[in-house]
Amino acid sequence: MSSVASATGGRLVIEGLRKRFGAVQALDGVSFEVRAGEIFGFLGSNGAGKTTTMRIVLGFLQADEGTITWDGRPAHAWPRRTWGYMPEERGLYLRMPVLEQLVFFAALYGMPRRQAQAEALEWLARFRIAEYADRKAETLSKGNQQKVQYIAMILHGPQVLIMDEPFTGLDPVNAAQLREALLELRDQGRTIVFSTHQLSTAEELCDSVAIIDHGRLVIAGPTRDVRRSTGNQVVRVATDGGADAEWLGALPGVTVTRRGADYTELRVAAGGNPQSVLRAAVERGRDVLRFEVAAPSLEEVFVERVGALVSEDHSLAAPVGAR
Amino acid sequence: MSNLANILTVARREYQVRIRTRSFLVGTALLILSVVAIAMAPIIVQAISGSGAQRVAVWAGAPDIGGSPAATLDSLLNAPTGGGTIAGGQVPTGNFSVRTVTDLDAARRSVDKGDDTAVLAINRGASGDLAFTLYTNESSTGRVAQLIKQAVSAVVIADRFARLNVAPADQARVFAPADFSVAWADPARTEATQSSADQGASYFLGFGMTILIFMMIILYGQWVAASVVEEKSSRVMEVILNAATPFQLLTGKVAGVGAVALTQYLAILAAGLVALAAQGPVAGLLLGAGTAASSLPQGLTPGLLGLLVVYGVLGFLLYAVLFAGAGSLVSRQEDVNQVVTPMTLVATAGYMVGVYSATGLLDIRAGWLTILGQVPFLSPFLMLSRVTSGQAAAWEVPLSIVLMAITLVACLWLAARLYAVGVLLYGQRPSARTIWRLLRHGM
Repeated sequence: MSSVASATGGRLVIEGLRKRFGAVQALDGVSFEVRAGEIFGFLGSNGAGKTTTMRIVLGFLQADEGTITWDGRPAHAWPRRTWGYMPEERGLYLRMPVLEQLVFFAALYGMPRRQAQAEALEWLARFRIAEYADRKAETLSKGNQQKVQYIAMILHGPQVLIMDEPFTGLDPVNAAQLREALLELRDQGRTIVFSTHQLSTAEELCDSVAIIDHGRLVIAGPTRDVRRSTGNQVVRVATDGGADAEWLGALPGVTVTRRGADYTELRVAAGGNPQSVLRAAVERGRDVLRFEVAAPSLEEVFVERVGALVSEDHSLAAPVGAR
Repeated sequence: MSNLANILTVARREYQVRIRTRSFLVGTALLILSVVAIAMAPIIVQAISGSGAQRVAVWAGAPDIGGSPAATLDSLLNAPTGGGTIAGGQVPTGNFSVRTVTDLDAARRSVDKGDDTAVLAINRGASGDLAFTLYTNESSTGRVAQLIKQAVSAVVIADRFARLNVAPADQARVFAPADFSVAWADPARTEATQSSADQGASYFLGFGMTILIFMMIILYGQWVAASVVEEKSSRVMEVILNAATPFQLLTGKVAGVGAVALTQYLAILAAGLVALAAQGPVAGLLLGAGTAASSLPQGLTPGLLGLLVVYGVLGFLLYAVLFAGAGSLVSRQEDVNQVVTPMTLVATAGYMVGVYSATGLLDIRAGWLTILGQVPFLSPFLMLSRVTSGQAAAWEVPLSIVLMAITLVACLWLAARLYAVGVLLYGQRPSARTIWRLLRHGM
């Protein structure tokens, strides 16, 4: 999944960004790299600095310090049509017909109107909302407005797509459609950066991620590496004896993180050996029905490095916590 | 290059969307209707009130009245405008038809029915002087009664001369007008003095053009601000900000709304011209042939129209860019009025001074008005009335235009900077200090 990178060799390099708003240091030295052709997840709590970073990358805001380059050239030196942007708060002209505003957006990027119109119609048909082309945006359902917003981002054919919380507020069906669409864009060779605080979505989609907290970069890199970064390992165990959590919790260097109905999840601290858990089970004379060693989820990494994620989309699977 | 393309794209969207709105269509239709109505009103009123001329009948109850009362009344009531006024000051308008009747009762009935305006009965009283009774349905102090009251004094005097056996030629010499002229108090002024009618026309022109400019600036300026806030509140701003610079968005919007304003004014102007051209034929149709048609307002020359356009466009741009910059600071329509108050106040002050000086409530020759006329934010309201009243020195117009153009560039820079920081500001209306900090350091 992560090997699509550098198909073109280009990189979006963000280096040493600092930005202060009055008394608030919004960004305090943020650096990371996005390889061309990958899906990159930008993770953090509300107010961590995700939107500010994206706005600086797009040139809406000036950084106090730091540089941004795409494929070796400063980001601002690239034509505007290089970039596609979907802000967190969806924005459409509510009283303007759908097709007309799509053509307007594309025309601002320098796309010929005729071509923009033809391609917009294709997109609308693809999303099964062609019959709304001449309706005012305000008459569309929220889900359909999302689709129009999405078309507005990609109609001009940008190389780099920057999306601020694209999954927030989507119902499961639309979220699945968006996931499909992003994978398809990646397969076309486009580079996608999106922010989210839905860590499971990021884990599922992203080739690389960066975690940001209070304006500071916590960690960045390929998703696999980030998940392994704490040195902890996750073990899922089920035995025929039941009540596994009782004795597993007593093992040294092991913390029970989830008491599932059919298995128990443990965290084995860095340096510990997951095989010791298996041995302990066998020594107790139990039949092992399930034994699985995995890297921690992004959520576990996040909690360990940053603390609990404060957000409305927070997963219900909260850690039990250390005993 | 792409700068201009994007400005045009933004302006085009603004124009297309605005021109389709119901408020624009209804507003323009109402304005056109009112222009046509104003142009046609005098004709329609005349047509409704019966005939064009005020019909006055004269009935002589004494056989030996000196001179010809009907002819005297006719010439006095229909004296040309601006000519000798009848003692007492009422200026006749020359729209009376006077005739002699022999049947007083029939004449009174015809007044009662509304066919005639009045019947003047002339009798000889006990003292030997003539006595007059005016039979009319109008008020005893109305315009017709007042004019006839002034006119009959001439009939009485003619009758007295006749009884004293003064020859008609001698009578004419007695009534010959005195040699009287008016000159400027200032010896340096050599141009002709204005008649009150000319002065009225120039007041009217200066006043009318000032109102037009004020309306354009306030109405369309607020439209610009509202349009900026609409983009912010719908959050479409961030979407287009990725494609276009704040400067392109700002200038495109101002240009688009300005084009809408020009469209509306041209529609009204066209309607006005058509109505003026139609006045003659319509009057002929409704009132019968030979009725005088009115023409363009006196004193409205092409040069003056050109100045109206220059001051109107520059004034609009000057205010509109500031309206846009201010509008970018708030994110809800309810807050727009508050944030544009400084501009509205200055424009209103300029408008008041302009109208007062155009209508003579302020002495337009005052030196401080010359200075105020050069203040770029006030020039659009002051200079046109200075020009129509002939008070503007030769340097005043070009200097004020140059100053406005320079200020426009400065305002555009300031507004674009405000806009660049303002479009990303959401939530509370920023304080003056915040704005100042953002302007200095950027965002």
